[in-house]
Amino acid sequence: MKVFIIGAGFTGIALSQTLIAEKNSVTLIDNDPERVRHASDQLDCTVMEANGNDLEVLESAGIASADAIVTLTEDDEINMITCSLVDAVYPNILKIARVRNYAYYDAAAAARRRLKVAFPAGRPLYGIDVMLNPDVEVAEAVTRAMAYGAVGSVIELEDGYVLATVEIGEASPLAGLTVGHLAEVPGWHFIIASIGSGENSLLPNGNSLIKAGESISVVLKEGDVSVLAKLTCSPAAKARRVVVFGADRPGMLVAERQVVGARRELWRRLFGARPSACRELVIVDRDQELCQKAARRFPEARILCGDVTDEALLAEERLTEADLLAAVSGNPELNLVTAAYLRSRGVKKAVALTANVSYGDIARKLGIDVAVPVRGTVVDGIMSHLRGRNVWSVHSICENRFMLVEGRVAEGARFAGLALSEAAASGGFLVLLYRKDGGGMLQLPSGDTVLSPGAHVVIIAASDDHETLHKFFL
Amino acid sequence: MIFSVVRVAVYVLGIVGTSMAVPLAVACIEGERRMAGVFLSLMIAGWAAAGLFLLRGRRRSQVFDVRNAFGVVGGIWIAVCLFGALPFALSGYFASFTDAVFESVSGFTTTGASVLAEVESLPRSLNLWRCQTHWLGGMGVIALAVALIPLLGVGGFRLIKAETSGPTKSKFTAFVSNTAKTLWLIYCLLTVADAALLHWAGLDVIDAVAHAFSTIGTGGFSTRNASLGSFALPLVEWITFAFMLLASVNFAVHYRLFTGRFSEVWRDTELRALVVIVVAAIAGIFAIRAFAAADLSATFRTTAFQVASILSTTGFMTCDYLTWLPGAQCILLALFFIGGSSGSTAGGVKVIRWTILAKQLRNELSRILHPHEVISLSVNGVTGREVFVPVVATFVFVYLLLVMVTAFFGTLSGLDLFTSFTAALTMVGNVGPAFGSLGPTSNFGAIMPALKWWYAFAMLAGRLEIYTLLFLIGRMR
Repeated sequence: MKVFIIGAGFTGIALSQTLIAEKNSVTLIDNDPERVRHASDQLDCTVMEANGNDLEVLESAGIASADAIVTLTEDDEINMITCSLVDAVYPNILKIARVRNYAYYDAAAAARRRLKVAFPAGRPLYGIDVMLNPDVEVAEAVTRAMAYGAVGSVIELEDGYVLATVEIGEASPLAGLTVGHLAEVPGWHFIIASIGSGENSLLPNGNSLIKAGESISVVLKEGDVSVLAKLTCSPAAKARRVVVFGADRPGMLVAERQVVGARRELWRRLFGARPSACRELVIVDRDQELCQKAARRFPEARILCGDVTDEALLAEERLTEADLLAAVSGNPELNLVTAAYLRSRGVKKAVALTANVSYGDIARKLGIDVAVPVRGTVVDGIMSHLRGRNVWSVHSICENRFMLVEGRVAEGARFAGLALSEAAASGGFLVLLYRKDGGGMLQLPSGDTVLSPGAHVVIIAASDDHETLHKFFL
Repeated sequence: MIFSVVRVAVYVLGIVGTSMAVPLAVACIEGERRMAGVFLSLMIAGWAAAGLFLLRGRRRSQVFDVRNAFGVVGGIWIAVCLFGALPFALSGYFASFTDAVFESVSGFTTTGASVLAEVESLPRSLNLWRCQTHWLGGMGVIALAVALIPLLGVGGFRLIKAETSGPTKSKFTAFVSNTAKTLWLIYCLLTVADAALLHWAGLDVIDAVAHAFSTIGTGGFSTRNASLGSFALPLVEWITFAFMLLASVNFAVHYRLFTGRFSEVWRDTELRALVVIVVAAIAGIFAIRAFAAADLSATFRTTAFQVASILSTTGFMTCDYLTWLPGAQCILLALFFIGGSSGSTAGGVKVIRWTILAKQLRNELSRILHPHEVISLSVNGVTGREVFVPVVATFVFVYLLLVMVTAFFGTLSGLDLFTSFTAALTMVGNVGPAFGSLGPTSNFGAIMPALKWWYAFAMLAGRLEIYTLLFLIGRMR
């Protein structure tokens, strides 16, 4: 794959490194000589000193044969205009723009949704296939990290399927069985995606044993969630209390995702299904003005203005009894300290937003369950769109040990035309859902299912297992 | 500056003078020569003054700054009330000029408290004028002026804001003159509808129009001594019940209804609260009265009518509520404190203010348990309205202060404590009848002249939501 990257800042370089490591051809363009020198010193790719929004420059660098262009300059407007320019001449190139200004991003996203309804076959807005907002990416990553932990939750797939994570209770008929024997349990007709949580999670095979107290991720129809809850006898969901520390943009986006979940929960409760989102949301920030904004935005949440590490506040609001803390303020060091402190005081799980990937180890040593690196998250977000045109979405789950990939089996891919049992012989992945090209609803696959080219699949694989992805989608 | 203030005031008088064409026509039809002369001469006087100012001075659009706006509005209202008192004073039916002014202020402020014990012997044209003052004052003479005189232009919104009620004031069309025109159009439509229905239900044209004026303006003057009850037509009472409530709904809500934005109508916090209050009050009073009632349907009708009449601050009567059980009277007394919606023709503290305070109570309780909590308050589904809490609290403070001062003056001039207190409520709230010796079957004719002047001030202060008159009295830089 040939990728153009405009802007050799931190994200540009990190993205180049990731792409180069996966053996892609990268052309990096920046107009700052210092940055160009720095980049060419450490990257094995073409680095040009030029204006990235000049079409002639891009053409001389060979944009005509590129597969994708990613614009990552400091300037949102340049990022967007460059993509539009390229789109005007080369509409088939995948264009990804980073847009930091949330107002631009939000307005464009709303317009994009309406465009899609009005003109399903039309060109994307401004010719930009994907707009990425760092705050949104971070919020998504934090929300996923929150969802896949103490709070146990569901990821929505297509056609009413969900990936639900539940804990196996002591009384469950499933406890002590191997995966191969599950089919004998009356009422069981689901597929297990992973067993265990976090570091210790693994992909199941027929001999994997299911133990009480462990959690399993299961693919099933949304309506079957209550059946699953009965079979697993998972401990009754207690009043769940989520504390979000930081009321600026990422905090608001994280809170929004919790609140939307809570609003939807009402419907689930009406239909007798298991509630999934948080029951009580607390947002803490030191800044009075941010707190006021938060209070106006989330009347259903409790907004506290104060220092979250203040002993008096903790006692007053019983924050230490919370089930989950998301430290997502604009100060990464404070996030680490806060998360570690509250975790030590009894909060069941803590997620912290940090600056670098390298902080992850420190965070774990401090007792923080998940550290979400800001910069790494943006690169991940871009990478999920650069897996080729056949990959639609990539979710990291089980604290980044696995990825959930939705996509289309490519023409001429290694696995195309093989029966699932043959393909699975190489191991290391599971096909969770399957749909023939152009036909019907997603279904749970069996060993005889043939992976015909163009079929829609949802697979789970180890996060670093790019080879499997190639075999499906390239 | 003074010149332009006077000029605007005279234009408004010209408009009010022109509106005397209606009673003039009635006087001609009914052959009331003296009243015809009075109305005709006042009309001509108004036109002459306005014409003088039309010729003099530049026809430049006049913009009033914030400080002046209150002075202008207060001044115009006083001028209009005095001008409107002239037909009463010149008719010869009023004992003194004080009585005439009291009647006029009571009319324009849509209070409906009369100094007359006997109104049926008045010329019909004069009776119509009494009701017409309600109608002019209900939507507001300033709004009418802004709608009709392009001269007021941009600054007009400031003037309308000083005149209309409620903590939040907004234009719902881009041009302020369009807002004023739309308001008056809705107002006229409601009036015509009410008059037509009343006529269909059995009232003659003049009575129907007079009571429609009185109802839509939420005033309370009637052409009969026993108010609406004297017609003994249940249908008339139910029609009036409905229109009193319609008139006590924010006219911005009516505008949304007319333009088909129903979802916004239902989201209106104040409307919901109003509906709840009306239903609860009717249910409560009816439950109490039903014990001692012989005729349940009549009891229900009079209960519903009286609740609507007091809550909308109209003050029509179909029965003497002083004969009700004390519990029922107490609920009715509570309604004196509440009043109608903001942006309606009704007076009182306004439903929205109490709603905001009630919501604030909940927030306050939460804040006691969670001292660091930051809480927002939502009105009409929009959050961030906590900024109105101090505004509303201050208003309620000033309102109750004025009630207490007025009650004090009442006791000084010889009224008993309960009468004086409820009379203060009814004056400041622009309701009409009070309790005790100033109850629904009594009138304000017998009270001391000095108290009449103070009551006139209290009514005006209540109509203009107090601040306007405070600025007029005191000077604040």
